[in-house]
Amino acid sequence: MNKLKKSIIYWVLLSPLAVVILFPFGVMFVTAFRPRDELFVYPPTWTFSRFVWGNFVEMWSKTNFGGALVNSLYVSVAATVIALVFSIPAAYALSRHRFAGKGLYRQFLLVTQMMSPIVLVLGLFRLMVQMGLVNNLNSLVITYAAFYMAFTIWMLQSYFNTIPKDLEEAAWIDGATHFTSLVKVFLPLAVPAMVVTAIFTFINSWNEFVLALTMIRSSDQYTLPVQIYSQVAGRYQVEWHHVMAATVLATVPVAIVFSWLQRYLIRGMALGAVK
Amino acid sequence: MKALLRSTPLYMILPSLALALLIIGYPIVDLAWTSMQEVSRFGQMRGFNGIENYADVFNDPLFYGSLWRTVIWTVAVVAGTLIVSLPIAIILNDDFYGRGLARVIVMLPWAISLTMTAVVWRWGLNGRAGLLNATLMDLHIIAEPIEWLATAPLAFTVEILVGILVSIPFTTTIFLGGLSSLPQDAYEASTVDGATGWDQFRFITLPLMKPFINIAVVLNVIYVFNSLPIIWVMTEGGPANGTDILVTYLYKLAFRFGAIGKAAAISLIMFFVLFVFTTIYVLMVMRAEQGEQEDKALEEEDEVETTLSHVTAILERAR
Repeated sequence: MNKLKKSIIYWVLLSPLAVVILFPFGVMFVTAFRPRDELFVYPPTWTFSRFVWGNFVEMWSKTNFGGALVNSLYVSVAATVIALVFSIPAAYALSRHRFAGKGLYRQFLLVTQMMSPIVLVLGLFRLMVQMGLVNNLNSLVITYAAFYMAFTIWMLQSYFNTIPKDLEEAAWIDGATHFTSLVKVFLPLAVPAMVVTAIFTFINSWNEFVLALTMIRSSDQYTLPVQIYSQVAGRYQVEWHHVMAATVLATVPVAIVFSWLQRYLIRGMALGAVK
Repeated sequence: MKALLRSTPLYMILPSLALALLIIGYPIVDLAWTSMQEVSRFGQMRGFNGIENYADVFNDPLFYGSLWRTVIWTVAVVAGTLIVSLPIAIILNDDFYGRGLARVIVMLPWAISLTMTAVVWRWGLNGRAGLLNATLMDLHIIAEPIEWLATAPLAFTVEILVGILVSIPFTTTIFLGGLSSLPQDAYEASTVDGATGWDQFRFITLPLMKPFINIAVVLNVIYVFNSLPIIWVMTEGGPANGTDILVTYLYKLAFRFGAIGKAAAISLIMFFVLFVFTTIYVLMVMRAEQGEQEDKALEEEDEVETTLSHVTAILERAR
């Protein structure tokens, strides 16, 4: 069977799935640019009379999209930084040291990685009440950092293992202390790994829904997923062209970055570092 | 002291351990404690009431309904995902025109948050103006628009299909990792012996992929059975609790109806289910790691053997 014939068969097999995958993207774009009075036409149709770029401007000013964007950025960046600051030493220890309880610690990480926020959400809410952090974005920062830490430690550790020990040993022989060799030799080599891990943590925080829905009570503190959800849920009239315009702005940049970096995820996934 | 610090890098581990214990450990303890308290609507503890909350849960028909739907939801989504993902992975692992594009398309749902996906589908499935109805009417498959989310059985079926769609990228990724590790010579040898593609799939691919399939099953079960956003955004468990699974029911009890004690009891039950599956997963990872180490040992033995046979060959030639 030649390659061309094979390619045609494969694409025919893949096409139903491709259509279903691309369908929501079509819905998103077609609705985001549609004039408001053409949302509910009968019979329903894909086509519309003109592109309304103004939907985006109108949505931005009417729905506090900018505020939610800033909240999401703050939470995701802060959670990522904290997760990395806690993970780098732990991953380094796992990669370079033998110590009592190492196996136990690794199992503990695997278990925490699998813990889902929704199962603990009531306990977490009560914890945040006690800490006085309800309706405070920092409640999300701490919880995201804690929940994604196991993933970042696994990812970083698997990358750290690929950095040869000889380089640090050479630095020690040249009289560097463990600390200087760590800062001047090891960490610069680990920068790419840290960037990739940071981006994945950022995306996970950016997309999180359940905890943000629970901890944040007032609309000016909403993160993007909750802000968009709140425009849909429990409303008699939903401004779908605004909702879809917001969805386009909130997802497309992240989707592009993710598609580009997804191969690194496959590499780092070797041992349970997933999602 | 300094020597101790150097030999046991506890100070590197402790911060992460402390954070995890506070945010993940403490809520579990709190839930266990709350589940045995009588709690008022406003969260005030009125004292110990033993297993009353649990008795309450097990006498609740809505709990059994949600439990049953959780089983259907999990089994249907995981099974559907596996059946679709394995052929997709086999295709994507092969060389063909446009493979890069195909990979990007298959992985796309992973790049978008579940919440956004569910919001878009909720609009796409709109009973009046939804574009799914538009497409099906254009193709003359249906004559009238269908209210996809208005009746529970249909809505739940649609949600399962969306659940499968968003689980495909992750599962395909695991399978691609597995497929790339399969030995090529086994396929070549079997082709020489006259095996068909189907024979190769049944007797080589499937058995060798078994560990990866197992991992995919366990991880998907963990992710799917406590996944809230799709059902919550598309139908909020409605109409009339008809699409409620345990997590949506738990969320309503805790944050809508103020049944804190009962919600804590359900949380704890779910935690134990989750813990059982997580333990299975941890055991699988540990076994895989051991296997890797044994493989390494075997490879070293192989090297010794090849060297030995090499030496014997030289000796034979000399003789």
